[in-house]
Amino acid sequence: MRPFKTLRLATRDYLHEWQMSGCFILALASVLGPMLVLFGLKFGIVGGMIEQLVEDPRNREIMPVGSGKFTAAWMGELRKRSDVEFIVPRTRSIAATIQLKSSNHSKIVSMEVIPSDVGDPLLSELGTGPTELDSIVLSKSAAAKLRVEPGDEISGSLVRRFKDKKERAHLDLKVAAIAPVSAFPREAAFTSVKLAEALEDYRDGNAVPMLGWDGNIGSDSRTYPGFRLYAASIYDVADLHEGLVDLGIEVRTRAADIELVQRMDRNLSMVYWAIAIIGLVGFSLSLGASLWANVDRKSKELSVLRLVGFRTGDIMWFPMIQALYTAVLGWGLAAAIYHVAAWAINDMLASQMDVGQQICNLLPIHYMIALGLTMGSSVIAAALAGFRSAKIEPSEGLREI
Amino acid sequence: MTNDEMSPQESGTLIYHLRDVVKTRESEGVAFRLSVPSLQIAQGEKIALIGESGCGKSTLLDMLSFILQPSEVGSFRFRPKLRDTKKRKKKRDEPLDIKRYWDRNKQNTLGDLRRHHIGYVMQTGGLLPYLSVRDNINLSRHVLGMKNDGSVEHLAKELGIHHHLNKLPEDLSTGERQRVAIGRALAHNPSIVIADEPTASVDPFAAEKIMSLFLELVEERQITVIVASHAWQHIKRLELRRLAHHTRRSEDGSVTETIVKG
Repeated sequence: MRPFKTLRLATRDYLHEWQMSGCFILALASVLGPMLVLFGLKFGIVGGMIEQLVEDPRNREIMPVGSGKFTAAWMGELRKRSDVEFIVPRTRSIAATIQLKSSNHSKIVSMEVIPSDVGDPLLSELGTGPTELDSIVLSKSAAAKLRVEPGDEISGSLVRRFKDKKERAHLDLKVAAIAPVSAFPREAAFTSVKLAEALEDYRDGNAVPMLGWDGNIGSDSRTYPGFRLYAASIYDVADLHEGLVDLGIEVRTRAADIELVQRMDRNLSMVYWAIAIIGLVGFSLSLGASLWANVDRKSKELSVLRLVGFRTGDIMWFPMIQALYTAVLGWGLAAAIYHVAAWAINDMLASQMDVGQQICNLLPIHYMIALGLTMGSSVIAAALAGFRSAKIEPSEGLREI
Repeated sequence: MTNDEMSPQESGTLIYHLRDVVKTRESEGVAFRLSVPSLQIAQGEKIALIGESGCGKSTLLDMLSFILQPSEVGSFRFRPKLRDTKKRKKKRDEPLDIKRYWDRNKQNTLGDLRRHHIGYVMQTGGLLPYLSVRDNINLSRHVLGMKNDGSVEHLAKELGIHHHLNKLPEDLSTGERQRVAIGRALAHNPSIVIADEPTASVDPFAAEKIMSLFLELVEERQITVIVASHAWQHIKRLELRRLAHHTRRSEDGSVTETIVKG
């Protein structure tokens, strides 16, 4: 009952003194706003870079340089390691092509075949992969060229010279999905390892019974010239890299880039936190000081309330409610300031960034944290000041000039 | 010295009964001491406390309204007039031991007593600048959860400020503000109204008008009143009992003591 009365009185007072209230709100926003912009920049720049690093599987790729002789068993061992997310063998690149033709378009397109499997990081967004012998995932540009959509049937073919004759084999394929541009920018077909092997076998003049292709009987001990290897996270790349080099396998990774960004993140974070802590201390002090001063200024009015019989607890609410108003409105204004600043910064630098990338960015949770911190520190400051003024004997407060 | 024991009939009508209450204050080496060996105020009495400023009138009034804690207390009893018959049956109609509340620092209990039973008119100000005249008068009723029964408007009419009801205090003259303060002190029908030089800041002509209006309203409502003033001339005609007090200074001037009896 009485807290509600206090709420009403505190609100009336806050509105009556709108100029003073406005000053408090402005003072709060002028400290909090730049803090939000600062954090938005830090989060946007470094966060964006890290996100890109972590999310882009290409940064986790470990590519062998040149060609070697890798067995399926060796790759199986590698696959068991916890820092390896994905590994499939690569067939010889000269044999890893296929000619595709769709019924929608007369053009025959020859394209690169990339062996893939379930869990291929490049296709993780699709939630599916070329698991069957006859299923195929096309890159965006390949699909565009063939004018096909997921679910369409297309026909594939390949030629070989066998016993001095030119032969062509055909097979029916189904487009399981179309990979986004980010997965692979060029024209390519992701196929099962089995199909990639079949294409290689056929070109080598060997028989592929699964597809009804004739030829010689190939050897059982198959070796691969390369592999597609992805580390579990960017932080595992350096270790894997080293491990493979120790085995005498020369590989290429983006470890240096990753290291650079990580170091930048650490340094920027340190600089940011140094600024943020100084800012936060200043912010708390200015907020606390202004709220404290406000309670002091109001001590006579608070004493009048005690004179008419308000209880100590009710009196405490008075400055706390007003502090909350200041906190919420100041936070709102700061958020508005941030929005304008962020928009300006992002707009200014839009031309230098990827689509959708923002250099100044905050998540809803960040706003909430800022609000929580502001409200928390406001209420504490006001409660302390209110408690102090409640401790003063009412007659003292009333007699103050 | 007044005797401590009183006849039952007499004590039954006493709203205040103080014995050996002392408040000392010290500032810049000058000590001030207010001593009340004995004070008895009966319900419905009209008391005047006359004296120069600085003699301790405000100190006594503040103690009587429980907003200032005495330094020493022999006994301090308060027996408000209970309006509600139900409450009277429930609560034993006995004097309240204010000393005990002070000893236990029961500020909220004292606040509750003040809210229900006491109206206070300050020398100046004391109005909330953000409330209209109507809400300022109504404040004492509002905190008690009393419904609006038109008594605020009625009171404002009697005080001659009904055409200011919707204005803010800053738009009123000093005299009008004091009328508002009087209105607030009376609006919730307290047992007692305490007024600390309510007309000191107003010109003599207006002061006299306001003072007689105030006492008229108090009389009408049969409320106990204690009013402090530095001018006896105002008060004399209004048939108030004057509290006896005298002030003396120590020879070196370091201690001022006022003794109030009555």
